Amino acid sequence: MKAKDLMIPLQEYLKPDTTLREAANLLRTAKRNEERIGVKGLPVLDTNGEMVGFISMGDILNAVFPSYMSLMNLGDFTWDGMVEDMAKKAGNKKVSEVMTTKVISVPEEAPLMECVDHMLKNNVKRLPVISKDSKVTGILYERDVFFAITKSMLNENTGGIK
Amino acid sequence: MTHETATAAQPFVMDTAFWTATVIFLIAYAVIISEKIHKTVIAIFGAGLMLVLKILEQHEAFHLEEFGIDWNVIFLLISMMVIINLMRPTGVFEYIAIKSAKLGKGEPFRIMAIFAIVTAVLSALLDNVTTVLLITPVTLLIADALDVDPIPYLISCALASNIGGTATLIGDPPNIMIASKAQLNFMDFIYHLAPIVIVMMVVYIFIIKLIWGKKLKTRDDLKQRIMSMNENEAIKDPLMLKKSLFVLTLVLTGFVFHGMLHFQPATVALFGAGLLLLLSNTHEPHHVLAEVEWPTIFFFMGLFIIVGGVVKVGLIKWMSLQILDLTQGNMFATSMVIMWFSAFASAIVDNIPYVATMNPLIVDMARQLWPDLSGTKLLHHVDLMPVWWSLALGACLGGNGSAIGASANVIVVGMSEKAGKKISFMKFMAYGMPIMILTVVISTVYVWLRYYVLKI
Repeated sequence: MKAKDLMIPLQEYLKPDTTLREAANLLRTAKRNEERIGVKGLPVLDTNGEMVGFISMGDILNAVFPSYMSLMNLGDFTWDGMVEDMAKKAGNKKVSEVMTTKVISVPEEAPLMECVDHMLKNNVKRLPVISKDSKVTGILYERDVFFAITKSMLNENTGGIK
Repeated sequence: MTHETATAAQPFVMDTAFWTATVIFLIAYAVIISEKIHKTVIAIFGAGLMLVLKILEQHEAFHLEEFGIDWNVIFLLISMMVIINLMRPTGVFEYIAIKSAKLGKGEPFRIMAIFAIVTAVLSALLDNVTTVLLITPVTLLIADALDVDPIPYLISCALASNIGGTATLIGDPPNIMIASKAQLNFMDFIYHLAPIVIVMMVVYIFIIKLIWGKKLKTRDDLKQRIMSMNENEAIKDPLMLKKSLFVLTLVLTGFVFHGMLHFQPATVALFGAGLLLLLSNTHEPHHVLAEVEWPTIFFFMGLFIIVGGVVKVGLIKWMSLQILDLTQGNMFATSMVIMWFSAFASAIVDNIPYVATMNPLIVDMARQLWPDLSGTKLLHHVDLMPVWWSLALGACLGGNGSAIGASANVIVVGMSEKAGKKISFMKFMAYGMPIMILTVVISTVYVWLRYYVLKI
């Protein structure tokens, strides 16, 4: 089994100059298959359709959370409404300021084992799948990989996965 | 006959070794200023070249005070870093910062003034870099709480840390280096530098009030955010805090009396670091030791060897002759040239390599002036003392001249940018340079009045 067999074809993506507010809205309402249930991460594509970054829920939380908080133990010194204020301010940031630029991706033909290897070593739960002409064609989710792998564990498919 | 007496008695020769060492020195310093390659990498590589090209023998670099690594500086720095690293997790610094903000009753300028004073005092007792690393995050938090621009707070803290650090032997790396080379003790610095630093701080607070006092405004409900913070929650490890404060008190007391007890400052600090490590019951000293700023430590070691090379071949002696030539042996003029040149040089270059070069230069100069003296009789000659103080004042206060003039500034600007508040080079300079010039003018008047008019 290969990356392209398990991936979910790309339906939505972000642009680098989109604001975080719009990006957050899309993450919350993005299509996953046919349902609009939201996704936890989306690729960022430039005007040529090439991937320039990836943005996940974690990146957005990081953008809201002030960097100084982690430099010292300041967790005890916050106030009511602090997160809301920070979130409002962060809403105006651009996707390009916040996105991860070193994206771990796999080619369409990558074997499943290689995909799992990337997920474990880099601690990522979503892998953009890239076609031969460098376009993002889909996203491989940890959840789908999990179901594919555990199928053989549960002997539902005696042929196993290759 | 030792090498030392040979160079003191005979004029040096500008041979191949002289030019090789000079070229290594000049290229290393040029690259450090350009920041094209990390300064520590260049310092280590330059030191390696000095050894491999036999400008210095290894034993000279490692074991001779005249040409080699100043282990007193190295161990003082490492030991103080270890003590601070062990203290940080207790939450004491968060406690001090939050307590200070509450003392300011949420009033924006009061908080700025109190933070500047706290930063200056901490910088005098710890080092500037540590102090701003501790104070900057809290400053950003407080500014967010009050919904005011954090940049004035950050700039005023950086400037205060460089002023405060000038006051003591351990406050700023130039002072640590000068103390070791000139064999001056902690109380010498307190006696000669602390009084004028206090005057500077009073003037400084007055100036920042003029600049920012009226501009900083907040609402009463936002002040409540500060007042409702409970600083006691910061203390995470009360037992370790007690141990840390005990050791810190012991070390500071040790510094006060080290001259009398004939201990080097590094001995006091190393003992303190060892004792606190023991009391901390840590089984993982590698965490504490890994947090020592090794790049800074190796930067020092590399520079000592590079400078040792140019001392040995006579470049430094040649430079000292040029200064004496310029000032015609007038010691007041020498002090002033060194103070003002040091200030501007430190604003442009890292003051550590600068002082590493100036220290042996001043010793060489003293040898020209008083060839019959040696040891502390030479180093503490009544006419030489104001020169040491001028170097310390110029090199420490010069750090305020630009955003790259002192490590503390670099850290504040970096952290501020990370928090989305960029302080441009020119913006920092717009405040830093006038403050630098003002404090050096105060120093000029002080040195002139105290050492050349009143002679006390």
